[in-house]
Amino acid sequence: MEDYPEELRTPPVSLVSLVGCPELHQAISAFLHSEQPPINTLALPDFSKISVLARKQKDPLASTPAAAGILKRDWLLKHRTKIPAVAAALFSSEQVTGDPAQWLQLCTDLENLKAVLRGRSTKLVVVLMQRSVNDEVSEDLMIALRKRAEIDPKHLIVFVQNDASELRISLNRLASIFAELCNTYYREEGRKIKVRIEKKSFTSIELNIRYCFKAAIYAEFRRDWTEALRFYEDGYRALREMIGTSTRLPPIQRLVEIKAVAEQLHFKISTLLLHGGKVVEAITWFNKHIAAYERLVGEPEIAFLHWEWLSRQFLVFAELLETSSAAIPSTVSPRFGTSENPLTDWEFQPAYYYQLAANHLREKRYCLECSTSVPEYSELSSTVGGVPESVMLSAYVGQYARLFEEGNTNTVLPLSDSEYVSYARMEARRFQDTYEIIALFRKAYESFSGLKASRIASYCSNRMAREYFIAKDFNNAKQLFDGVACLYRQEGWVTLLWESLGYLRECSRRLGSAKDFVEYSLEMAALPIFSDLGPENSENKRDYGPAGPATHSMRQRVQEEVFSLLKGEHVPVTTDGSCVLHVTEDEPIRVDIDLVSPLRVAFLASVAFHDQSVKPGSPTMITVSLLSQLPCPIEVDQLEIQFNQSTCNFIIVNAHKFPSTEKFAEDDQRSLVESAPSLTLSSNKWLRLTSEVKSGQSGKLECLSVSAKIGHSFMISCRAESPASMEDLPLWKFEEWLESFPTKDPGLAFYGQKVIQVEEPEPQVDLILSTTGPALVGEKFIVPVTVESKGHAVHSGELKINLVDARGGGMLMSPRDAESFSSDRRHVELLNISGIPDEDESQTDSDNVRKIQHSFGVVSVPVLGVGESWSSKLEIKWHRPKSVMLYVSLGYYTNSTEAASQRVNVHRSLQIEGKIPIIISHRFMMPFRQEPLLLSKVKALPGYEHRVSLAVNETSILIVSARNCSEVPLRLPSMSIEMDDDDDSQNSCSVQHIGGISDDPVLLVPGEEFKGVFSVTPHVDTLNLDVGTVCINWTRDSKLGSEPQDSIIVTKQRLPDVKSEKPPIVVNLECPAHAILGVPFSFYVRVRNLTSLLQEIKYSLGDSQSFVFCGPHNDAAFILPKAEHLISYELVPLGSGPQQLPHITISSVRYSAALNPTAAESTIFVYPSEPKFNTEESK
Amino acid sequence: MANTACFIIVSRNDIPIYEAEVGSAPKEEAAHQHQFILHAALDIVQDLAWTTSAMFLKAVERFNDLVVSVYVTAGHTRLMLLHDSRNEDGIKSFFQEVHELYIKILLNPLYLSGSRITSSHFDTKVRALARKYL
Repeated sequence: MEDYPEELRTPPVSLVSLVGCPELHQAISAFLHSEQPPINTLALPDFSKISVLARKQKDPLASTPAAAGILKRDWLLKHRTKIPAVAAALFSSEQVTGDPAQWLQLCTDLENLKAVLRGRSTKLVVVLMQRSVNDEVSEDLMIALRKRAEIDPKHLIVFVQNDASELRISLNRLASIFAELCNTYYREEGRKIKVRIEKKSFTSIELNIRYCFKAAIYAEFRRDWTEALRFYEDGYRALREMIGTSTRLPPIQRLVEIKAVAEQLHFKISTLLLHGGKVVEAITWFNKHIAAYERLVGEPEIAFLHWEWLSRQFLVFAELLETSSAAIPSTVSPRFGTSENPLTDWEFQPAYYYQLAANHLREKRYCLECSTSVPEYSELSSTVGGVPESVMLSAYVGQYARLFEEGNTNTVLPLSDSEYVSYARMEARRFQDTYEIIALFRKAYESFSGLKASRIASYCSNRMAREYFIAKDFNNAKQLFDGVACLYRQEGWVTLLWESLGYLRECSRRLGSAKDFVEYSLEMAALPIFSDLGPENSENKRDYGPAGPATHSMRQRVQEEVFSLLKGEHVPVTTDGSCVLHVTEDEPIRVDIDLVSPLRVAFLASVAFHDQSVKPGSPTMITVSLLSQLPCPIEVDQLEIQFNQSTCNFIIVNAHKFPSTEKFAEDDQRSLVESAPSLTLSSNKWLRLTSEVKSGQSGKLECLSVSAKIGHSFMISCRAESPASMEDLPLWKFEEWLESFPTKDPGLAFYGQKVIQVEEPEPQVDLILSTTGPALVGEKFIVPVTVESKGHAVHSGELKINLVDARGGGMLMSPRDAESFSSDRRHVELLNISGIPDEDESQTDSDNVRKIQHSFGVVSVPVLGVGESWSSKLEIKWHRPKSVMLYVSLGYYTNSTEAASQRVNVHRSLQIEGKIPIIISHRFMMPFRQEPLLLSKVKALPGYEHRVSLAVNETSILIVSARNCSEVPLRLPSMSIEMDDDDDSQNSCSVQHIGGISDDPVLLVPGEEFKGVFSVTPHVDTLNLDVGTVCINWTRDSKLGSEPQDSIIVTKQRLPDVKSEKPPIVVNLECPAHAILGVPFSFYVRVRNLTSLLQEIKYSLGDSQSFVFCGPHNDAAFILPKAEHLISYELVPLGSGPQQLPHITISSVRYSAALNPTAAESTIFVYPSEPKFNTEESK
Repeated sequence: MANTACFIIVSRNDIPIYEAEVGSAPKEEAAHQHQFILHAALDIVQDLAWTTSAMFLKAVERFNDLVVSVYVTAGHTRLMLLHDSRNEDGIKSFFQEVHELYIKILLNPLYLSGSRITSSHFDTKVRALARKYL
């Protein structure tokens, strides 16, 4: 599109001319240009310059000559830049009102201007410049001026310069007058032309076309697009009629001219349609245009001109479509291919046209090559003897002429066809079509890629690559072809893949890359192509590309070629022979084939072990199966099978070629060498080789790759695949061919694996764990571990200890607990591993691993000979009762050098219960027959209901009992109550040991209970009285345990807080320890008032069968503050044995609380007679 | 009969399973040039096939004077024809009859869906249909 002249590409803009008053031109032109629609100005500073507006003088008598062409090249430019629609004469008001000389001058200027414009219908406008509004010119002068100028009153404009608002008004007025007059001018001009068309008053069809074009241009000036379009179309149609009828020019140039004009008209029509938003119409019109002109006629020699022209049509249309592409989606209905919308989706994409433009340009290049290479076609040019000089564009569109210089005069001479042809050919050769084509395809490619149309994009990419190939830019070509081949490979379009690979193969040949050449050749040869079209037609060479037709015989030829190259022969060289590939032994070619390589079809290796697992060192069978889809059989010299354990690698040699394997044995000491009678791979036939492998170390034995050596300089290394997980060959999957199994055993073909598990050797070392029953919480529990060598020496032994919760869950502490390192959070802890002989040196000896964590430990085991043993003790401490699994594993090497021998592992586990040894319970009591009145018992405080209350300053008894709940007898050396260290608790309460513990440690058999008695005297009145912590020291009974355990374990349990309060009243029952039947005794009830208030008490004594008593049955008493009241009774027992004293009830009136002594308190033993205690015997 | 006609069946996984040059004209261009165009047209078929319930998609693409017509079966197998004639009814009938033949191939228990059609009977029938309708 850029080739077109500017005036053709943009819509025409009206032109006015300003004459005089040059100081204002700038402002006026700028204003007019910014108007909508804009107006261009042709500014002439003074009246002496008006001659440029003058018309060319024609001899009126001379008859109009026959048209020498259709459209004049410069006509449009002339109308856009030289011939104004309106001429405005600018005069200042001084010139009008000034002295007569100035007036005269003005009149002369006007006359001159009128004279120049005569013959044209250019409108005249007189503009009178005023400095200000007041600067008015008299009416008479105005009329005089108007008459001089012969114009309408409204065409005389007063223009006020100095006032901004007035200036604006004046400019607007000027612009509207100009616009109106321009419109009138162009309409009139257009009408004149139209009349000529309607009356058909033209002598030739050329003029008809020219008139149509002019009328359309005038319409465009007026922005009457519909009319413009109509006339362009008329002109276009008239031009069609001209083909074959015009004889004005020599035939070739005639066609060239017609096409050039058609192109111009078509361009205008397309632009108008597209800018009007009529995309569908524009595309339809374009299709018509192409259909009308695409037929190739005329001399084949200049066919390239046609293709160039056609390509340009597509390119220009694509560019037009691209620039107006915003309007497309809304106007287009989604359904394509219907009657109302016969266009396809792509036809709305500029990329489609770019792509076609590129195709036509290819056609052009081909024709150009033909016309220059074939000598007999160039007879036209040879007759003239070369290219004429100084050929230039003539005055008419699409015509060329020769500039002939003779002295100082230049004459323009018409060209003959032959001259034109050689000129055109020379011009065409100057262009680098290839790069143009690549650029066009690239544009299309990018655009299609953006539309996610990968296939058509790859079509463009393919074309691009071919151009690069033609341009001998093999690197770029190879890169693009690679991308394209990838898509075709993926989608299985074999023929297209063949074609692309053919190019790739050629590219790598030219680039001298033997490896790529071999790879592409192998892939080509292994494509599933079976058709055979018979002998190749050499004429089709151009269509086929370097690969030739996709046939079975071509596959064979490709394979033969590549294998002859690999054998050291030269490849049949290409036509120019620029690059010769050769392969030498020094630089062998190695092709690697992995699971996604396209070369899997050429060489596929499947490896299956016959067993799933094997003992170390024992032999196992392995089947290596090879498959190739290459059309001709391949003879492999040597197969190398590689494993992840390199000691297992082995080589299979072709016995046919190497009758003796001794040579190999010398070369390769480490690998096993076997020989097979034949190693020939036929097309689509599995070559199965079964051999024996000696398994190496324990663990996984995996076959990694199978490498085939063919000749001296070629090696294919193929990743081994398991038959079980082998994927189908991508392109052959859907072909109809006989599928066979890689192994004879169908089970192996489905489940065979290239991996075998080599088991661990049997350990010959015993690991013994033993325990002595359950562990007790708090103690260091010892688990002895013994390593006994029974057949293996232990080297670099390592003992791993792991403690795991037996109920699952793994960890013995929650992860959050693990963060904080407080030891009481951990339930079970591995404390220590003792019994390591060089424990002290462990810091210095780095080999000696010793690492203990809470539940995990590693220690190294010293070197043990056969029959030796080593033992160690694990110290584990339970903080909570828990059942734990103890896992101990021993890993060792049988040999002192780790690399040579194998690591053997022994695992043992043991479940250990952790139990609580002693359950501690306690009880508070008051001293015998003493009862304080505790108000909290009467009225409980909320929240403290369950708390034991003690009387302040009164001694209470605390009984702590410890019960052995384990299964082993325990010894208790001591039991004590420890107060907290702080002073408050020391002062608030005093606890003393009264009894229960003897000096000898007490033996507690399972289930037995031990009691300690303490006296507690609270000193303060508080709700939270800390009584202290019970500490029980215990140890396992050493007599029964297998080993003496000296360590004494302390179990602590904090006693719960108690309440202490001051009792207002304390009641003591006083009576003798025993009574004798019939002997009276005194029974006192002592009531102490501890308050500073007067206390009233009531008491009553009930009757009893066992006693008679004297004293009041019921009575009341007042007790003074801090005083005590003694109620005394005299009782005579009537029955012997334990007897219940008469029931006494004492109630405090103030607290409405009654005190009833318990049955134990009110029991007394009555002897039938005075007892005689034999005190001596008892001693 | 059309001068140029290249017929191809593309399986649902975009692999060509049958290809035939059925034009009457002597071969100007090799088969793969036509295949390039047909392959490129797959993009547009892919978009178009889901916009309509009709099987015959008519002309979907134009390449110079060659037109690509497509017929999409219910199993998304695409019958594609590159041709230069404009006999739409004939093409439609051709597609319908080939579809019928294709269904017969599918009914063969030994035929694996999506694999190459190698039946010579099918080939003969398709060529006969091409002579009849195109």
